[in-house]
Amino acid sequence: MNLFEFCYGIIHWLVDLVNHLWYWLGDHLPRVFGDFFNWAGDLAVSHGNIALFAILAEAVIMFVIALVNVLNFIWIDRKWMGRMFDFYGPYYVGYRIGGWLQNLADGIKLFVKEIITPAKVDKLGFLIAPVILVSSSVLALSTIPFSPRFGVFTSDLDTGVPAGLLIAFAFFAIAPFSILIAGWSSNNKYTLIGGMRSAAQMMSYEIPLLLCVASVFLLSGSFGFLGVVNAQHDIWFVIPLFLGFIVFITCLAAEVEIQPFDLPEAEAELVEGWTTEYGGFRFGLFMMTSYLRGYVGGALATALFLGGWQGPSIIPDEFWFLIKAYLVFLIIEWMRWSNMRIRVDQILNIGWKRLMPLAMLNLLIAAAFKTMGWF
Amino acid sequence: MVLTASKKKPSTLGFVLRPMRRTGAQVYSSLIAGKPNTVLYPYQKLDLPPTYRGKHTLDFKRCIGCSNCVQICPNDCMWMEKLEDPELGKIERPGVDLGRCLFCGFCVEICPTVAIHETVEFELADQDRSKLRLGPKELRDDKYADTVKEERQKRSLPVLDLSKCTGCEKCAGECPEMCIAMMPIEGVGKQKPEINLSKCTSCGKCVIVCSEKALTMTEVYESYFEMPEPKFILKNCTGCSACAKACPADCIYMMDMPGTEKVLKDGKKGKPKKRAVFVLEKCVGCGKCFRACKFESIEMAGVKR
Amino acid sequence: MAEMWINMGPQHPMTHGLWNLRIKVDGETIIDAEPEVGYLHRGIEKLCESKTYTQIIPIADRLCYGASLSWSHLYCVTVEDLLGLEVPPRAEYIRVAALEMQRIASHLMWLAAYAADLGAMIGFIYSMRDREVFIDLLQALSGSRITYNFPRFGGVAHDIPPNFERDSLRACDYMEKRLKEYEDLYEGSKVFMLRNEGVGLLKKEDAMNLGVTGPSLRASGVRYDLRKDMPYSVYQELDFEPATHKDGDCYARFKVRMDEMYESCKIIRQAVTKMPKGKWRTLAPRNAPEGTGLGRVEDPRGEGVMYVVGDGTDRPYRLKIRSPIFVTVSAAPKMLIGYKIADVVAIMGGLDMCIGESDR
Repeated sequence: MNLFEFCYGIIHWLVDLVNHLWYWLGDHLPRVFGDFFNWAGDLAVSHGNIALFAILAEAVIMFVIALVNVLNFIWIDRKWMGRMFDFYGPYYVGYRIGGWLQNLADGIKLFVKEIITPAKVDKLGFLIAPVILVSSSVLALSTIPFSPRFGVFTSDLDTGVPAGLLIAFAFFAIAPFSILIAGWSSNNKYTLIGGMRSAAQMMSYEIPLLLCVASVFLLSGSFGFLGVVNAQHDIWFVIPLFLGFIVFITCLAAEVEIQPFDLPEAEAELVEGWTTEYGGFRFGLFMMTSYLRGYVGGALATALFLGGWQGPSIIPDEFWFLIKAYLVFLIIEWMRWSNMRIRVDQILNIGWKRLMPLAMLNLLIAAAFKTMGWF
Repeated sequence: MVLTASKKKPSTLGFVLRPMRRTGAQVYSSLIAGKPNTVLYPYQKLDLPPTYRGKHTLDFKRCIGCSNCVQICPNDCMWMEKLEDPELGKIERPGVDLGRCLFCGFCVEICPTVAIHETVEFELADQDRSKLRLGPKELRDDKYADTVKEERQKRSLPVLDLSKCTGCEKCAGECPEMCIAMMPIEGVGKQKPEINLSKCTSCGKCVIVCSEKALTMTEVYESYFEMPEPKFILKNCTGCSACAKACPADCIYMMDMPGTEKVLKDGKKGKPKKRAVFVLEKCVGCGKCFRACKFESIEMAGVKR
Repeated sequence: MAEMWINMGPQHPMTHGLWNLRIKVDGETIIDAEPEVGYLHRGIEKLCESKTYTQIIPIADRLCYGASLSWSHLYCVTVEDLLGLEVPPRAEYIRVAALEMQRIASHLMWLAAYAADLGAMIGFIYSMRDREVFIDLLQALSGSRITYNFPRFGGVAHDIPPNFERDSLRACDYMEKRLKEYEDLYEGSKVFMLRNEGVGLLKKEDAMNLGVTGPSLRASGVRYDLRKDMPYSVYQELDFEPATHKDGDCYARFKVRMDEMYESCKIIRQAVTKMPKGKWRTLAPRNAPEGTGLGRVEDPRGEGVMYVVGDGTDRPYRLKIRSPIFVTVSAAPKMLIGYKIADVVAIMGGLDMCIGESDR
């Protein structure tokens, strides 16, 4: 049973419950009122209506799962970072579960802080930028299914929703706009510089990213999630396209603005870069979005290279997907905390002069594999 | 140049991999092979060495109230308070303002009787600045000195009790180092032994030979700070004995000057004038006599009034 | 883009201490620079005129809180020159051991701040963890962790604690092992080399003309170390080599400081094993004669000089302090012009600015 049918069933049951009341009213009230309630009850039970509410319920479930996963990610990040730095991570809050509740505590702290909007900012841009960022990242997230049966965008086709991956990457790439708007509208020399650098960095790393994805499309022959994952049933794409995997991870780190690529948020040079003027919960939103995009990237890497939800059936497929996404995230975090920042012109150098040729090489390898008929 | 680091250039693969190898090794050593290098304060505490300079402790019985600590404090954090103690009577003891204190340890080093110590207590924060001013009663701990190892070295020095001395010169003859010189006390007509403390080897022969038992060997703490010594000017002295009352170390004796009795109206002889006599073996250089004398008969170089 | 003046500081996460760096930028390239110091002026030289010689020792500690033992030692050397005192040999060896430990601790703190500025929090945490080892040793020796108040006129405050020799030898072994691991983290990382090689060049003639001393001068190829060229204390009897490097860029300054840490470990080993027995302090007179005293010492940041004028009482008439950072920061424009804004951090971080001593 997949997620859609599950939600459909629950909503149907709820609607039936409420319809008892509606139909009772319809039977016992005189003419016009009775007809009205009967009509309302029939409308509620109609298939289109329940399907609509089922989709809404699915979206809410996926959103909650995403947020809980983000909390998990932050916790793992802090613990892993702690052991690398030779200290414990969060320890006391939620003592018995290893400090997991620390993130909730930090979130609540950010929530109750005073939100200040500086006087001279461009109001529309300043207020819209976080909204665009968060919403585009969550949209990208919603297109990723955890398994053939668990996801918002699933269908009965063999290859899943057609062009599912394309939509995901399209949503993922809206972020540079919002960062530029955020940096520019804050009316501050430093944030302007930070925003421009960030936009330049993200644009230049989109291309190797999409080239790697193109090589996967070559081998799998379809654009949908199900198609890509099913094409990996004998061998995961990470083995023939190892170079592509490495380039993908690097470009992901640059997109999510993680050391060694996080000059736009460089604390030492430009205070906080393009997020300087944002305080309180807005800042919390940016931080959360950073981890959310990391999760999205990890999920995409899993689906494209690591075989998605395939694995021995001791544990359900959804958990395999999550475990692999966490693994990709751990590798990115390991790289993050061991390295220093690269200067922005060197970042652009690396993006254009080193990663793009490697991505092209990867595409050629994929083309070679395909022509040799191995896929 | 020192060739200690390897001269290998990092390869392209070493872009990120060598640091990652180091951090990976660290994860192993703090997760699997051992514990991280963290002290879970405040549930686990560090052991501090005994030389640590923390909050002060005052021993009321050892302190003589000389106020040397107050004078040497670089930041003027200490003051003297007059107290009434049930066993010790009217005393003057120092208090510390921890808000200004540098925790430098000079008060501990200069104290002539090692009455003030610095413990290892360092958790001294408070929300009110006035609570950081600790008076002598809050600092009082008469038993602390027994729990710590004695750091300061002691010297045995012969100390003169002027009331018993007859000026017989036996001690000056016995001393093997020739430290003792007999000096006359002006106006009194007696002489007293002046001991040169820097040459004294603490052999104790002068103490044994003195028939009146006027010399006793006392243990005095070694001090590396040179303290100013008072110089007495006889002609201004009126015998008011303010200096003798002020001296915390019992170094000043008031002696009669025979031959200065005034003849009173009814023919009787009045009391003779007194003068102050300084026995400087135990002098701590606090300057209280200097401040107490209103007739400018004591001079101390460089000390402020 | 138009040219504009950017103010980095006085409140800025990069600037350790309180100073302002004004740079004129054209796009991303720097065309002019102007450092402004003086925000942390506390009037120490004037304050010292109203305190006795002994009371100034903890104040001299607080001149540079990163390397405080070196400054109180400098003050004691200056006053001993004025008073004409001889320091017993055991005290000299204790002083040298403590000074070299302070040098390692100061360089480790520099390394921590440098790595944190460049973006590697890992460097910060590791350096601070290793610095704890030396700070603990100095805490057992003197009683305090950062401002030690340890040297006195005529020696040191008290003798070494038990097990000091064993602990310092262990600390030196530990430090040498860790320095090899730091190679992985810094020199093995291409990112670090990309950011530091060829950046912030300071030529030999410029360095000498501007009066730069210390590791920055040695990184430009001039082999000048006060411990070898004008030896004070017992450095003549110890065997070590001042570290130099021939390029004058940020990587050279980094390398010189790392090599200095190796050398300091060697010196500590020799000083601690060769320590003679005897007195560790002599009595110092209270009133200073009329005259002058001069002390010159190799501070971890350069050459520190103090000049004291005595007038017969127990308070100095004038105390003059020459701080190395005050002079080195004037070389900033030469090192910054032509590079990008993102290099400012690496270049100014490589100079190891401690504003406490520069502003006094």
